[in-house]
Amino acid sequence: AQRPSQQETHIHYAQLGTDVTLLCGSVDQDAAVTWTANSTDLDASHLNGSRLVLRNVDLSHSGQYTCYEGPSWHVKYRVNLRVGLPPKEPIVMCRSNNYPNGFYCSWHLPSPTYINDTFNITVVHDSKEIVCKKEMPPKNRCYIQFLQVFSTKKYKVTLTASNPLGSSSTTISFDEFAIVKPDPPENVVAKPVPNNARRLLVSWQYPSSWPDPDSFPLKFFLRYRPLIIDQWQHVELSDGTSHIITDAYAGKEYIIQVAAKDNDIGTWSDWSVAVHATPWTEEPKHLTTEAQGAETTTASTSAFVVPPTTRLSDSDVTDR
Amino acid sequence: MASSEKPPVAFQHPGLCHPTIYLLRKMRSDVCSLLESYVEKQGLDANFNLDSIDGVPVADAESWGELSDAERLGDNLKTYWAFQVLLDEILEEQRSNLTPTDVAFHESIQSVILQVSALAYQLEELMVVLKHKVPAKELESTKGSNGKGLFEKKVRGMKVLQELAQWTVRSIRDLHQVSKSLQTDNIPCESRQLTQEK
Repeated sequence: AQRPSQQETHIHYAQLGTDVTLLCGSVDQDAAVTWTANSTDLDASHLNGSRLVLRNVDLSHSGQYTCYEGPSWHVKYRVNLRVGLPPKEPIVMCRSNNYPNGFYCSWHLPSPTYINDTFNITVVHDSKEIVCKKEMPPKNRCYIQFLQVFSTKKYKVTLTASNPLGSSSTTISFDEFAIVKPDPPENVVAKPVPNNARRLLVSWQYPSSWPDPDSFPLKFFLRYRPLIIDQWQHVELSDGTSHIITDAYAGKEYIIQVAAKDNDIGTWSDWSVAVHATPWTEEPKHLTTEAQGAETTTASTSAFVVPPTTRLSDSDVTDR
Repeated sequence: MASSEKPPVAFQHPGLCHPTIYLLRKMRSDVCSLLESYVEKQGLDANFNLDSIDGVPVADAESWGELSDAERLGDNLKTYWAFQVLLDEILEEQRSNLTPTDVAFHESIQSVILQVSALAYQLEELMVVLKHKVPAKELESTKGSNGKGLFEKKVRGMKVLQELAQWTVRSIRDLHQVSKSLQTDNIPCESRQLTQEK
C-alpha cells in the first residue's frame, strides 16, 4: 500500500515478555486502519479495532510500526517500539591507581537491558558531594580528585541506572586506603647472567600511572617458575626495581611476572605481563671423537633431576 | 645552608630516617592489631561512624603536597605528643573501669605508648638537626573524656587508635617527602628486605 507523507515518529518502550497495545494515534477505536511493522503488512488477527495488540513481546518485536487510516490510507501514526528490560542493580567499583592524586569509579550492569540506559553517580565524603568528572571513552567511568588525603572518613558512592522502563541504584562505601591498587609494573625484562647457569636478572619499572614513587614507594612481588613446573616461587622486595633469581634450574626456560603494592596500604596490583628467559648455558665445545664419546656418557647422567622438595602438580597457579 | 655545603649531619648518618620508618611501620602494625582487639574487648562495631568525635588529631590533610618540611615535621611532632596524652588516658580508663583485669591488653597499650614517645623523640631530634623550630610542647591532658559515659569513652578510644593508625601512614610519607625535598644523600628510607618463599 503506497501511503506517502511525512509523520512524526513516536517512541514506545515495552518490557520483554509483556503484552503491548499500540494506539493509532487519536483515531476512534473502531476506525478502519491497517498496520505495518517495518513496512510489512500485519494481518487483522493482531488488531483490536484500530489498536494493534502484540502478545508476550520479545526483542524481535522492536521496530517501526505504522498505522494507515482508511479510506485514503494515509499515514496516521508512526511509532518506534523498543522492547527491553529495566536495569538491574548496577555494579560499581572504585579504585586509586594514582594515589594520592585521586581515584576513578567504573560501573556496569549485570545484564543487558537492550535499550539506552543513563547513569548518575554521586560521591560524598565528609558530608560534602564531590564532582566525579565523566571520562569520554569509556563512557561508564568517572574520576574523582582527592581533596584530602589520609582521611579516616569514608567515601560513599551512589550509582543510579535508569531507562524508560525503570531504575535501580547501588551504594558502596569505602575507606581511602582500601581502594589503593597500583597498575602492574611495566617494562619487565628478564635476562640470563653470563657465566652463571642458575641465575636470571629481572628488572622492571614503576607503573607510569603511579605519580610519586619517592614519597609513595611501592613494594614488589616477583613470581617465577620453569615452564615445565606448575609451582610458582615467590619473592617479596620492599624496594628497588630489579632482582637476581639465584636458584633457577640450569637450561630451563622460565616464566616470570611481577606485581606491585603500596608499602603500607591498599591491595596488590594485577600481575604484570609475563616474560620468559632461560639461564646462561655454556657454549658446546668442538671435541675430538673420544672426548665426545666420554662427554656423551657424562651428559646423560646429569640430565635434569627434579629436587624432591619441588612438588609437580597440575593444580592452578595459586596466587600469593 | 648553602647548597654546596655538605648535607646536615643527620643525612650523613643514614641512621635517622631509616629507624623512624621502621618504627612507624612497626607501630602501624601494632596499632592496627590493638585497634582490632580494642573494638572486640569494648564490644564495639568496627564500622562505627566516628566522624563526630573531636579532640583527636586527624591525619587528613588538604594540599598535603604543598606543606613545607618544617610544617610537616612540626605537625607530626605535635600530633604524637597529643597521642601520648590520649593513649595515657585510654590506658587509665581501661585500668580503672573498662577492662580492669586485662593486664595483657594494658601492656599492649603501654607498648604503643612507648613507641609513640620514641617516635616523638626521633622527630624532635630530626627537627633540631635540620634547624627547624621545634614547636612548644603543650602536654596538659586534654581530659577530653572527662564527664563522659562509658560508651563515649570507649568510642573515643577507638577514634584515637583509628587516627593513630592513619597518622603512621601519613608520617612515613611525610618523611619521604622531607628526604626528597632535601635532595641530599638519599636517606636509605627503605631497606631491601628480601623474604624468599618457596
